[in-house]
Amino acid sequence: MGSSRKQLGHHLVVDLTPMIDVVFQLIIFFMLTSHLGDLRRTEIDLPRQPGQEQQDGEDAAMIIDIDQAGNYFVESIQVDLNEIHRIAAAGIAKEDITSSFDVLIRPDRFAPAEYLDRLLNKLSGVGVSHWKLGTRASGGAG
Amino acid sequence: MGLKRSQRSAKRSSHLGVLPLTSMIDVVFLLLVYFLVTSSFAQPERDLPSSVQTDGGGVRSSELQPQIVVIELQGSEAVYRVGSNRVLTQDGLTQLLRSLPKAPGIAVKAQREVPIRFIAVAMQASQDAGFTRRSYVPTDR
Repeated sequence: MGSSRKQLGHHLVVDLTPMIDVVFQLIIFFMLTSHLGDLRRTEIDLPRQPGQEQQDGEDAAMIIDIDQAGNYFVESIQVDLNEIHRIAAAGIAKEDITSSFDVLIRPDRFAPAEYLDRLLNKLSGVGVSHWKLGTRASGGAG
Repeated sequence: MGLKRSQRSAKRSSHLGVLPLTSMIDVVFLLLVYFLVTSSFAQPERDLPSSVQTDGGGVRSSELQPQIVVIELQGSEAVYRVGSNRVLTQDGLTQLLRSLPKAPGIAVKAQREVPIRFIAVAMQASQDAGFTRRSYVPTDR
């Protein structure tokens, strides 16, 4: 009788430390997997225009960022135009249908047009015919 | 019998009171603060779809030629030129484009030094004016 009461007492002291560990692991896992799309983008001061809503599940095949100094980034990694050409060509070859290869360009709003033009000339040389200009809805005047 | 039962339940409740919930509450609060802060800073992004049209070709002579918006820089501000018309504001450009026929489509072209935000203005104006065939013409290197 006395020993069973002692056992009951031991069971009631619940140690929550492993439970918190597990909760943290799960949170880290879900945060990383659900925001993988965001990791493909660098922090860019995009043009301020309402544009149109980006469709869920219609992720661009390639996201290219242009900073104010004219550096190009694909998946947050700095690349040159030749590398972009190679990646786009490989993507188009994989997709098989040129029109379905969707390119999202996220330029700094103050970057000169020549950086965009150079990029689009390179992409059109591979066969890219459609692109999207990334914008931010808030604010105004470009 | 009744006394024994009440003693047992009192003991059980005192055991339950020992549950170390403080750390759990700390964690929950930290997570709550984290998600509140990050969600308020993450601004949704939008886009302006367009096609690429090279200067050399793409449009056959038998097809209707798209109307062209040329963006030039005047000091630090942009001037949008459509044929002989020149406008300085996004609203003015939208109004001007609304009056044009939509079937031929619209092409946007910018001088090399024009900031990209003015290209976004022209593309937004052509979308707001109702053009479905929109293209951008990059200048040759």
